[in-house]
Amino acid sequence: MNKEAPLSVVERDFILDALRENVRLDGRSADQLRSLTVSFGEEYGHVKVQLGKTSLIVRISSEVAKPHDDRPFDGIFNISIELTAMGSPAWENGRQGDLEAYVANVLDRVIRHSNALDTESLCILKGVSCWTIRADVHITDYDGNLIDASCIGIMAGLQHFRRPDAVVKDGQVIVYGLDERVPVPLNITHKPLSVTFHTFDEGKVVILDAARKEEQASEADVIIGLNNAGDVCYLSKFSGSPVDALVFVTKTTVALEKVKEINSIIDKALQADLAKRAKGGLAEQARAENDRLIG
Amino acid sequence: MASTAADSTAQAAPTAPPSLILPPSQFARLQPHAYLLAHLSPPASSQQPSLRANGRSPSQFRITSANTGSLTHTNGSAVVRLGDTTAVCGIKAEILHTEDIPSWSVSHSSSSLASNKRRKLTSPAENLGADREDGSEETDDDDDSYIEDFSLLVPNLSLSTGCAPGFIPGAPPSALAQSLSHQILSLLRSTRIVRSKDLQIWYQRPNLGREELEVHNEDEQMDVDVEQDRSGGATPEPREIKAFWVLYIDIMIISLAGNPFDAAWLSVLAALRDTKLPRAWWDVDNEIVVCSDLVSEARKLSLRGLPVASSFGVFEADAAAGWRAVLIPDAEEERKIADSERKGIRRRWILADPDGYEEGLSLERVCLVVDRDQGGSGEVVIVKLEKNGGFAVDRKELKQLVEISAQRWEDINQILGQC
Amino acid sequence: MMGGPIASLHPLSRADGSASYKCPSTGSNVLGSVNAPVELPGRRDALKPEDATIEVFVKPGTAPSGVGERYVEGILRGALSRIVLGREKGYPRRGVVITLAILGGESIGRGGSYLPLLPALLHTSILALLSASVPLSMSLSATMLAVNPSGEIVRKPSITDARAAASLHVLAFTSKGHLLLSESEGRFNFDTWDKVYENALAVCHGTSTLSSDGDVAMTENMDTQPLEGFVRDTVEDHIRAEYAWKVDAA
Repeated sequence: MNKEAPLSVVERDFILDALRENVRLDGRSADQLRSLTVSFGEEYGHVKVQLGKTSLIVRISSEVAKPHDDRPFDGIFNISIELTAMGSPAWENGRQGDLEAYVANVLDRVIRHSNALDTESLCILKGVSCWTIRADVHITDYDGNLIDASCIGIMAGLQHFRRPDAVVKDGQVIVYGLDERVPVPLNITHKPLSVTFHTFDEGKVVILDAARKEEQASEADVIIGLNNAGDVCYLSKFSGSPVDALVFVTKTTVALEKVKEINSIIDKALQADLAKRAKGGLAEQARAENDRLIG
Repeated sequence: MASTAADSTAQAAPTAPPSLILPPSQFARLQPHAYLLAHLSPPASSQQPSLRANGRSPSQFRITSANTGSLTHTNGSAVVRLGDTTAVCGIKAEILHTEDIPSWSVSHSSSSLASNKRRKLTSPAENLGADREDGSEETDDDDDSYIEDFSLLVPNLSLSTGCAPGFIPGAPPSALAQSLSHQILSLLRSTRIVRSKDLQIWYQRPNLGREELEVHNEDEQMDVDVEQDRSGGATPEPREIKAFWVLYIDIMIISLAGNPFDAAWLSVLAALRDTKLPRAWWDVDNEIVVCSDLVSEARKLSLRGLPVASSFGVFEADAAAGWRAVLIPDAEEERKIADSERKGIRRRWILADPDGYEEGLSLERVCLVVDRDQGGSGEVVIVKLEKNGGFAVDRKELKQLVEISAQRWEDINQILGQC
Repeated sequence: MMGGPIASLHPLSRADGSASYKCPSTGSNVLGSVNAPVELPGRRDALKPEDATIEVFVKPGTAPSGVGERYVEGILRGALSRIVLGREKGYPRRGVVITLAILGGESIGRGGSYLPLLPALLHTSILALLSASVPLSMSLSATMLAVNPSGEIVRKPSITDARAAASLHVLAFTSKGHLLLSESEGRFNFDTWDKVYENALAVCHGTSTLSSDGDVAMTENMDTQPLEGFVRDTVEDHIRAEYAWKVDAA
């Protein structure tokens, strides 16, 4: 279940033959990313990612909760991804498939286990209350490379999100509304992203950011997770045929280049959104003043 | 020789043409729709009244019985039978310490200044609220947010294995069970039937005047006493909520023959009326909540009102009419048809308390939950109305259904009064 | 004041049909997709021999889905199955899978009321069904009305209005004026509901349908277009955009 319709033999051969001649279905070069746009919604932490024809929406939310007993100083951060029939007709609603578990696992490792979000900064009152940050990934269109696109969405969301300000006053936690006090950005320690490669033709052809049909025709995938500084935080070769160890070495440099490229796209989008908000906020104030004058 | 041949032909004669007459039970299974239709619209010549296949008239409910207190290890329990649908409800009260509630010490400054005040018990707002307690319905409005904020009512409904064919062991909770759980929870909340006051466990710091009495001598009237003291201008005594009772309301449908919601809700209602909570207080020396084991000290819940649910199903004479019709009559035409219908053939019947067989044949459902103001003498109040899945029930029909539900309220009030 | 709802048709490429819908008063923003007709291999015993099986899945934006979602799915399925012509060729024994993701607005806690979201969910579903070209007998429009404690009816209530209300009502009408769905909670009597009905009908279908009881129709000032027209306009706009090449060429 939860499997896309398999490629026909001719289609597979066509893709492979073309790749042998260094031609991809959409005319990209092997190490080229599809066009990527990152945009933000009205709420903090609402991100829309469009990577080629793959698109998804990430929503970040926060809530006050009780910290885990064994980690009283840490807040809680969860990533939730559920594949619904919206993303692809092959996915069944309400049933977890292998792909879902796999993607969730990789995202957890690249972002959560690498401690991209500093959970200690989410503590409000030791052992009593802390923030729970939740990232919900909604896949709206699936055309390959779910992992990288989700990574981009979550990281952009975490950087965009602002949680309400909270103050401790004699044992009481007071949470201030978004309109009362300037909300607080999350403490991001580094910005890891994953870059997925697929191999073909007994490992001779390696391409980046495969579309859905390329994924289906591929032999194996290699995922490299690293941050802007080039620290590798995740490496995997999960299934499929063996891959030459050199691929990891050579492709890590490619991956680093891509991570920098993607992070700069995210930064630009964040800046633009921030500027828009600042302007909108001013306009809002001006209007409020006008109202007061008229009133 | 000849005689035996004659015999055999004589015997064969009745069975020779394969019989086209089916016993009613087989007809009911093969052609459920036609079977029910035949009952509801008997030929005019037969002089028979229009009755459902189960012998009830369209607006007649099944025989309902309720029995409370049959489960000994619960704080309150009830068994409700609605014809062949049987629901068992057990309420177990557990203690929840405030320090285990993550949001207990959190207050939101902006939107809910009220919620902030609520927890500081010395605030005048609280005093006022306390003064008016036990009065009419509208008094203690916002103190009920405790129930919602900390989930003090936890209903869970399960459709037990074998309650109807198709419920196999080991299956995860079905969508029906989940949505019934939700309906019960949201009705518990929107009717605010349980008072948050009943679920609070307090700690009263000994004050100078009654040092000796300590906490042990507080009787159940304590709350009221203290509040009167305070509102009387005395210095507010430091009194705080240390724990809550959480009511785990488990409902099990052990036999499902249609209309599970009415049965489940009635069982919840009966069980809540039966629920007794032991007297509990905070023991400051041991830092635990202590409960009294004296039955005489246990207290019943003081419930708000008696919301009674009545469900209806709509049976249509032509099941596929909406699909086959080239043009579906619009609402105006529909009403005209309905008017003219009274003389001629009926197209649809609204069946009260549908059984399993009828539920399978009706798409449109109506569920009404009604109550009466002032303990039963006042006006009929609707607390929940749900109508979905079809076009048959419009304003006029709903008005009639509200009347039927009000009548049903009287019956249920009587049944619950007896148990 | 606030404008009407904002909707777009077919924003997604993989699903057979899709729609997004945003309601300005409650802030709810819903994205819906429809896949139809599809095979439902896992539910062979639940399939009806002569009708399509309609599946609705509601995915909350910032929480795991729970009992509340199962409940609202049931409501949506009940309303939509009366409108989808599941007996048309190609549909019996197959599924119409409607997936609705809540992308904006306040999330609903456990046991919380789903009524504020219901109109947005219904509108998204009907637009997505239209976008997927699923045969329908009628379309629908829905609205939420709040009755505040002093007995006034509030149109387009915000989330705060809804919280403060004495009773909340969601009514859905078919394009032919039938009352398809009515969900109410709170404390109210039948006369209040009757007034709410009049109001809701006016919001969904405009005042013209109220002409039978004249003076009510006159006193209602309709500042916005009826919702029924909104569904039509959304579809017309989409068609105009889709066929722009053809119009230009002509």
